[in-house]
Formats: sequence, C-alpha cells, structure tokens
Amino acid sequence: MKYLLGTLAVLVFVAAATGFICYRLSCDSALHAAAAKGDAMEWLRTDFHLDDRQFAEIKKLHAAYAPSCAEHCRLIQEATKARDAVRSTGESDPVAAERKLQELRTTCETAISAHVRKVAALMSPVDGRRYLALVLPKIANFDHQMAPDLILKGTP
Amino acid sequence: MNTPPDNLSEVLRRWRVKPPAAPNFRHTVWQRIGSPAGVSWAAYLRVHTAAWSLAAVLALGTAGYAGSVMAQARVRADREAIVVTYLVDLDPRVQALLKP
Repeated sequence: MKYLLGTLAVLVFVAAATGFICYRLSCDSALHAAAAKGDAMEWLRTDFHLDDRQFAEIKKLHAAYAPSCAEHCRLIQEATKARDAVRSTGESDPVAAERKLQELRTTCETAISAHVRKVAALMSPVDGRRYLALVLPKIANFDHQMAPDLILKGTP
Repeated sequence: MNTPPDNLSEVLRRWRVKPPAAPNFRHTVWQRIGSPAGVSWAAYLRVHTAAWSLAAVLALGTAGYAGSVMAQARVRADREAIVVTYLVDLDPRVQALLKP
C-alpha cells in the first residue's frame, strides 16, 4: 500500500509537471504581453512576423489612414445625432436619416476593408491571409458583434 | 510378547524448551509490516511494470494534451482581445460609438 501510494504521488507530480511544461511551450508569451498591454501594433509585429521594414510601412499606412478615419467618425456621429433628432421631433423623414447613416457606415466599412487589405499586402502571403481572416469578419459583422461588445465594456 | 515400558509420554511431559529471547524481535516485526515480504520499491515496480507503464502513458498524455489545449484557449482569448483593441483604433464606426 505504501509503494502504491508513493508511486501514485510521483506519477501525479510528473503528470502535473508535464501539463505545465506543455502549457508553457504552447503559450504565446509575446501575444499575451501585447494583449495585456493592449498594444495592437506590438501584436501585429509579433503575431504576423513583421520585419522592421514591414512594420515601419504598416505604421506609415496606419498614420496615413488616421485622418480619414477621424473624418468618417465625425460624419457618422453627425448623422447619428441628426437621425436621433429626427426620431425625437418627427418633423422630417426618419427613413432618410437612417439611410444616410447606413450609407456612411457602408462607406466606412469599404474604406477600412480597403485599408486592412493594404496592410495585409505588406505582410507575407500566409500572414496576410491569416490577418485578413481575423479582422475582415469582425469589420463585416460590426453591427452584430463589435458594437454590443464595446457598449458592454464601456458600461460602468 | 511383553512390550517394553513406553516412557515417551513421560519424557515429553517433562520436556521444557527455553529459547533465548530474540533481541530485535519487535524491530523485525515492524520492519516486516512496513515492507511487505521484504519487497523494495524497485522490486514492487518491477512486479507491476505493465500496469504502472500504462498508467504513466495515460497520465502524461492526458496532462500534456490538457496543457496544450489550455494554452491554445488562452492564445485564442488573447488574440480575440487584441483584435478588438486594434479595430477600436481603426474603425470609425466604433469610435463614433465611444466618443462623447
């Protein structure tokens, strides 16, 4: 009985150690660090194996895209406010206001999709495909997925 | 024919055995209780090699697989979180929701 329990204890210890080692070997510490810091650019660099040149070009691309992103953001906010005003007053056509907002969102989706495709083109073909497979569905499913997540996170 | 007088019973009746007391009797008994039949751990494992080998393969395989699965789940969760962070910076529709 003593040897049975002793052998069992050794086996449990070795199995736990094996599980821990496999866990550590399968983890992506760079990805975890980037996620913990919320550093998306670091995530791009490590997860998609970007060299310095690719990383610099993607940063430049993001910087060039930022002003149009801000402009789209402003237009969407204005259209949202206009739609809400129309809904509350009922003076003009709420369908037209809603349509304008949807058009802006569609324009925005087209722009951001084009932008991420440019980013993907700077990566290696395999990493580029993986990047697009990650981001494009989330961009396309914004209304169903992204917005509720963010609203929940932003709620105190 | 007369039989000679049988004195065996008398001899046995008078026979007394006085063995010397074993000095380590108690210690030896406890040692035998602790180590059944005097078997060492190595000998025990040799006897049960097949059973313990099978148990070791199953336990280590399961532990390794579980560790990998847990790590992959964490990688997926991290990636999901960072993609959302990335798109928050990139997507005007999201920013329009977040900005006051």
